[in-house]
Amino acid sequence: HSFPVLLSLRRGQASVSYAQSLLGAPETQLTALDNGLRVASEDTGHATCTVGLWIGAGSRYENERNNGTGFFLEHMAFKGTKKHTQTALEQQVESMGAHLSAYTSREHTAYYMKTLAKDLPKAVELLSEVVQSCSLNEAEIEQQRGVVLRELEEVESNLQEVCLDLLHATAYQGTPLGQSVMGPSSTASVIKSGLNLTRQDLVEYINIHYKAPRMVLAAAGGVNHEELVGLAKSHMSGVSFEYEGDVVPVLSPCRFTGSDIRMRDDALPLAHVAIAVEGASASSPDIVPLMVANAVIGSYDLTYGGGKHLSSRLARIAVEDKLCHSFQAFSSSYSDTGLLGIYFVSDKHHIDDMMHWSQNAWMNLCTTVTESDVARGRNALKASLVGQLNGTTPICDEIGRHVLNYGRRVPLAEWNARIDAVTPSVLRDVCSKYIYDKCPAVVGVGPIEQLTDYNRIRSAMYWLRF
Amino acid sequence: MMSTVTRPGVILPYYRATRNTFKSLVFPGAMELFTVAGKAELLIYQCCLSFLFPAPAGTRLAHTDIKIPDFSDYRRPEVLDPRKSSQDSSDTRKAFSYMLTGATAVVGVYAAKTVVTQFVTSMSASADVLALSKIEIKLSDIPEGKNMTFKWRGKPLFVRHRTEKEISTEEAVNIGELRDPQHDKERVINPKWVVVIGVCTHLGCVPIANAGDFGGYYCPCHGSHYDASGRIRRGPAPLNLEVPYYEFLDDNTLVVG
Repeated sequence: HSFPVLLSLRRGQASVSYAQSLLGAPETQLTALDNGLRVASEDTGHATCTVGLWIGAGSRYENERNNGTGFFLEHMAFKGTKKHTQTALEQQVESMGAHLSAYTSREHTAYYMKTLAKDLPKAVELLSEVVQSCSLNEAEIEQQRGVVLRELEEVESNLQEVCLDLLHATAYQGTPLGQSVMGPSSTASVIKSGLNLTRQDLVEYINIHYKAPRMVLAAAGGVNHEELVGLAKSHMSGVSFEYEGDVVPVLSPCRFTGSDIRMRDDALPLAHVAIAVEGASASSPDIVPLMVANAVIGSYDLTYGGGKHLSSRLARIAVEDKLCHSFQAFSSSYSDTGLLGIYFVSDKHHIDDMMHWSQNAWMNLCTTVTESDVARGRNALKASLVGQLNGTTPICDEIGRHVLNYGRRVPLAEWNARIDAVTPSVLRDVCSKYIYDKCPAVVGVGPIEQLTDYNRIRSAMYWLRF
Repeated sequence: MMSTVTRPGVILPYYRATRNTFKSLVFPGAMELFTVAGKAELLIYQCCLSFLFPAPAGTRLAHTDIKIPDFSDYRRPEVLDPRKSSQDSSDTRKAFSYMLTGATAVVGVYAAKTVVTQFVTSMSASADVLALSKIEIKLSDIPEGKNMTFKWRGKPLFVRHRTEKEISTEEAVNIGELRDPQHDKERVINPKWVVVIGVCTHLGCVPIANAGDFGGYYCPCHGSHYDASGRIRRGPAPLNLEVPYYEFLDDNTLVVG
């Protein structure tokens, strides 16, 4: 009974072409309120929606004294507001069947709720309360200290996080970007050493950073933009837009230092190594070629079934010689700087080889990358950009981050056009600009005796034959 | 150490967490610092320690506690300010480093070349041998008509002060008759002085001066006659006596070699 399917004239043809679907994607609408708060939404027609507040504040705005405040505040956010106690708040959220979450990163903080589309008004009301009138009671603060310390302890066993945190710490040493989001243990500690957080610190943080021009109310799903703007006006018009004493926190550039940090522990089974150079900022035109470059290098882990036939050259070599358990090319971009790197996990006898071939992949990008590699990278990047928008929450997150970074949502059609403009010579030029003969930041965690010496790593950032 | 009083009740839950954290992050090799059983004692000891020292030596509570040291003492001036991007100065810093490296490389190659040359040339002739390579002769010591013999480079050197008659005789000789045709002019710089090596070109004996039928030299071994210009005239020798390189420093000094 599969005959009719086989005989169908449209078998193998999508009903809409890729280009058509790109242009047909629902538009993201953006409105600004009087106090500067921006409201952006995409109506995807789903029955559910994700709505949240994206704030331009993070660990980069903290200093040595109060590093970890944003993270602690995130913990305190859902512990009760002036109108609802913690139990009341939880009950409101649970009764809607909604999920309330938050995250803090180096430059952004987000509080968002996933709920049914019809519950949008309630969701916006609760979110606005959480952000504007968090109760921050003392007993709860004391209790959360333990939670934060436990989370710090838990993160110690996530060596990928440790590795990438240390990468930032060494690459941006002496600057606010080098600070970890979670802050040092002294911040959350109960021991009053003058370094630990008090309620006053949290209040100050909110006063300084939670300002309307730095906030975006983003929503995706079955949401009506007008309705959302109306809700924002009624709940969030009160968000302040003035700074005390007109002192506006301005981000200064962060110096990148080529350096390395090695946390050797031979008792660990696997070594986690990351190497990165200073990359492009989020708003730089070079970000797209660099993303294509990362797609050319790709990623790999032991669960990949392609074996020796994976398309990424580095992956093929890794499989044939069993060089690593996993690797990925990554790119973190911030408002005026970024990190472009490769992270890999390997056993202690293959670190040197894996590092050599990773840098070889970089050199290949700078010098001899071919049209077929670039075509593959472009396609992979396009696929991943579209593929990661699978649900209202990723879409909402992208809306929030884009409006904070670029002032608008960059549509897929635009990404596509910029990706198509990447040719092998463009890729070579851009990669040479950021990678060739630059001082990298290197991190090693675990049994890293074999990790190549920094001078040799630095020498592998150029080719004499070139 | 009982000066700090803490109420275990409120902070007990977090204390348990930190105690576990504390233990799990002791570096391998560091001694287990606490063996006391009492929780309260442990708590107070920990609190006191944290008062006196921010973190007990040999342990840390989280990777976020690691503080990257301040390397300002070692930084170049362009990258001292953490609020300035390091990209702008990256080219000039690299250029400086590479120039320094390049210059050092050139100097190094030159030094290596010098050392190697010194070792290799040590295998060539030594100074005492080289000293023997030249001989300086005071010509005023040699009267007219007389031939003086010197040891030079291990061989006898004949310096002959010729008379006018000898000079004209030698210059008038028909070259076609000679076994080894050479005009006298070709063999002398100043016709008054003949400088030849006193080794017979036949089998290497030393000819006797002022002997033979041609007013020159006679080799007693096999009877080769040379004239006053050192040319072979009769006998088994095939070639004329060898004329070495020589020059007149002044009228009175002859340097051979």
